[in-house]
Amino acid sequence: MASVVLNDVRKAYGKHEVIHGVDLEVRSGEFMVLVGPSGCGKSTLLRMIAGLEEISDGLISIGGKVVNELPASQRNLSMVFQSYALYPHMSVRRNLAFGLSNLRMPRDEIERRVTEAARILQIGELMERKPRQLSGGQKQRVAIGRAIVREPQLFLFDEPLSNLDAELRVQMRVELANLYNRLGTTMIYVTHDQVEAMTMASRITVLNAGNIEQVGTPYELYNFPRNRFVATFIGSPKMNMLAASGGGTADFGAMGLPADVAHVGVRPEHLVLGSGVAGKVTLVEYLGSEIFVHLTLPSGQQLLAQADGKAQIRMGDAALVSFDAKAAHYFGADGTRLPLYDAAA
Amino acid sequence: MNRVIRKNLAGYAFLLPWLVGFLLLAIGPILFSLYLSFTKYNVINPPQWIGLDNYAYMFGRDARFRKALQVTFTFVAFAVPAKLVFALAVAMLLDKGIRAIGIYRALFYLPSILGGSIAVAILWRNLFNADGVVNTILGFVGIDGPAWLADPRYSLWTLIVLAVWQFGSPMLIFLAGLRAIPQELYEAAEIDAAGKVKQFFAITVPLLAPVIFFNLVLQMIEAFKSFSGAFIISGGSGAPLDSLLFYTVYLFNEAFSFLRMGYASALAWVLLAIIAAFTAIAFWTSKYWVHYEGERG
Amino acid sequence: MDAALTEPLALARSLRAAKAQRAKRAALLKHVFLIAASLVMIYPLLWMLASSFKPNNQIFGDPSLWPREVTWANYPEGWNGMAVSFGVFFRNSLFVTILSVIGNVLSCSFTAYAFARLEFTGKRLWFALMMMTLMIPYHVVLIPQYLTFLKLGWVDTYLPLIVPQFLAGDAFFIFLMVQFFRQLPRELDEAAMIDGCSPFKIYWAIIMPLSIPAIATAAIFSFIWTWDDFLGPLVYLNDVKDYTVPLALRMFNSQDSVTQYGQMFAMSILSLLPIFLFFIIFQRLIIRGIAMSGLK
Repeated sequence: MASVVLNDVRKAYGKHEVIHGVDLEVRSGEFMVLVGPSGCGKSTLLRMIAGLEEISDGLISIGGKVVNELPASQRNLSMVFQSYALYPHMSVRRNLAFGLSNLRMPRDEIERRVTEAARILQIGELMERKPRQLSGGQKQRVAIGRAIVREPQLFLFDEPLSNLDAELRVQMRVELANLYNRLGTTMIYVTHDQVEAMTMASRITVLNAGNIEQVGTPYELYNFPRNRFVATFIGSPKMNMLAASGGGTADFGAMGLPADVAHVGVRPEHLVLGSGVAGKVTLVEYLGSEIFVHLTLPSGQQLLAQADGKAQIRMGDAALVSFDAKAAHYFGADGTRLPLYDAAA
Repeated sequence: MNRVIRKNLAGYAFLLPWLVGFLLLAIGPILFSLYLSFTKYNVINPPQWIGLDNYAYMFGRDARFRKALQVTFTFVAFAVPAKLVFALAVAMLLDKGIRAIGIYRALFYLPSILGGSIAVAILWRNLFNADGVVNTILGFVGIDGPAWLADPRYSLWTLIVLAVWQFGSPMLIFLAGLRAIPQELYEAAEIDAAGKVKQFFAITVPLLAPVIFFNLVLQMIEAFKSFSGAFIISGGSGAPLDSLLFYTVYLFNEAFSFLRMGYASALAWVLLAIIAAFTAIAFWTSKYWVHYEGERG
Repeated sequence: MDAALTEPLALARSLRAAKAQRAKRAALLKHVFLIAASLVMIYPLLWMLASSFKPNNQIFGDPSLWPREVTWANYPEGWNGMAVSFGVFFRNSLFVTILSVIGNVLSCSFTAYAFARLEFTGKRLWFALMMMTLMIPYHVVLIPQYLTFLKLGWVDTYLPLIVPQFLAGDAFFIFLMVQFFRQLPRELDEAAMIDGCSPFKIYWAIIMPLSIPAIATAAIFSFIWTWDDFLGPLVYLNDVKDYTVPLALRMFNSQDSVTQYGQMFAMSILSLLPIFLFFIIFQRLIIRGIAMSGLK
């Protein structure tokens, strides 16, 4: 187990900088998820921690030791790749043992670890197969097996579930969470899927365009997003964002807000239908336990509200909508959060 | 920066054999050859600097040089287009899901893979002998064939036929290219009431243009370089009456029969320049007729 | 079904039948043409094969593919037809060819690995220069190379034929392998890096085993081209005992007096045999290799 500390880490390709001085501390034994839209630099960051990508500037330390100059193999970490990267010409057993034999580990120790990993991941029957004879889920397990046999101080995952179908993804998510609980090793996990991030992480780092937007627990990120980007990125469906000026918004009128509030954010589940401002229902998405109601207000503002699955609302209806000011989020002109009601929550 | 140095070390370690070869067997010799081309050198006495004399003689007075150019250009001008036309025609016949395509493909390719052998050049020489099989067969249909190899009017044609006979490689490349053309395009053209000929010129040719271009450049370079066939069939000299005096044959004889290494080096440089020029022309004109997919108009 | 509907259905059926008939006739015509064309294509080769079994006086001008009188004598007589036995020539050819294949495959795969997988300064420039060497005719470098090897005392040895093969001289093979290596997922190298592999170990334990088709294709073409090579041996080998098969065949051909045609063709056939067998066995690899890289 080890902590990972990034100090002003930068990455540039020629003159084009893609990571702009990232400071981050991953605590020992933590499950840290890096999340962000595609192209935000999360994979690059992970690969720099792994030692697969050069750092243009800054320091990376693992377990208190600066690893800038260490090759990947000497950083005592394992990585699970998006495509699994199993060696196609080796059996599952060879795949698991390959890294250990490169470390010149005694044969019986290799055997012990491989057997143990096979047991944990229930891939005992697959040991003599080649990767192409495995299903997607099995490949995924072998890839994780290859990571755990090294008993590293740090696990890195690069979107490991994105090649699986939806059902398998949910299942593997649970298995990975169990594995984490069992091993307790530090893990850094990259994904673009914020549901994955929310369900698995001890803490989440939200990245955007090469900068960290916020680091926090899933609870903190959801309830106290530090800025508009995090507010709209975390949460599905997205938070509604209303432009505000002069202490109120165009549709909901004066709300007695401080003058520096530029945006009011309301999550769909905090919009209340049945009273307040009149809007027009433009679309209803039925999900069973709940429905998503798309509304257009007189100003042209679009809103998405969540309502009970049994609510009788149809496209074309007129609907009244309102929200509790205490449940809303407020942002200044520069996009940062204004802590109006945070103490109460 | 330590890691960068390590990466460079690994890269150059793997590149080393090629790098040594490139410097000692390609660039070094080419520059050495350039120097020699300004000298008179017969291996026994040291090279003697004569400035541009070799080139002046070559372009001014050397009739055999002009003959060699004429023979080689004639060969390239006829053999390459004919080869490509045959290759494309057969590839198109084989393309549309025909039965036993594997067997046909193998039979059409067989001459190409065996054709580089001296055995085939020797065979050719015998087939086209005055009383050889070709004339016997021509005799069956009442044609009194000439003495192909002894008559300077015909001898080059035997080599052109030999080259065209080996159309296998461009055929295979065309086949791969044709496979890559989506069938839907032909179906769309059919719906648009385009006939087969129209389809060929409106779909096949433009979409195949990069492949045609690739084959053209490759075959042209190959044709300029071709040597063993002419050497064997002409008995090493370019006979009869220099009608088989391929540029490479002339160069070889100047260098290794007459030991005129300086002059031969000048010839080699002119050959290099010719090939470079033709390749450059092909690339330069390609932008007018080759359109790669994903590229604007 | 009412009559107004059955009629168009019947019409459609008959049209379909007519179309199928036409397609069948067209396919038949195509086959007839292709069979005729392929016969013309391989006729010369078959004629040579037949002639190698004909007595010397029945070869010339006889286009038949079936010897009137089959004789095996051309083979043993041709084998020992010259001062030096063909066994020696074949051994020489095999020696040069096998070493060349090994040298080519090793050095070209090294180079290709560097170009396809490693990062180093100047890579683009070297790659461009490598591709340009495709254009250089052997005749241009032949003279300076010859003079150098002459100075080194390598003429009349096999070194000028073999050593260059260990220095990745054939850009075609490098290009073929670069194309192949590039399509292997890069994450494999990265996984291997984390698994503690050095660049050499990645080359040897990951890239090479996964590139067997490309390696084999390069090996096959390397074999064929070296086996057929005429100019190199012509320049560097002067002692008949050192001759490779192509030089020996040429000797047969240029004995101007009474040439033993049957023997010459018999030895020609034997010289083509290894290539022919390679072609039969590795046809798929060869065809894919050509389509992939445009090998001559």
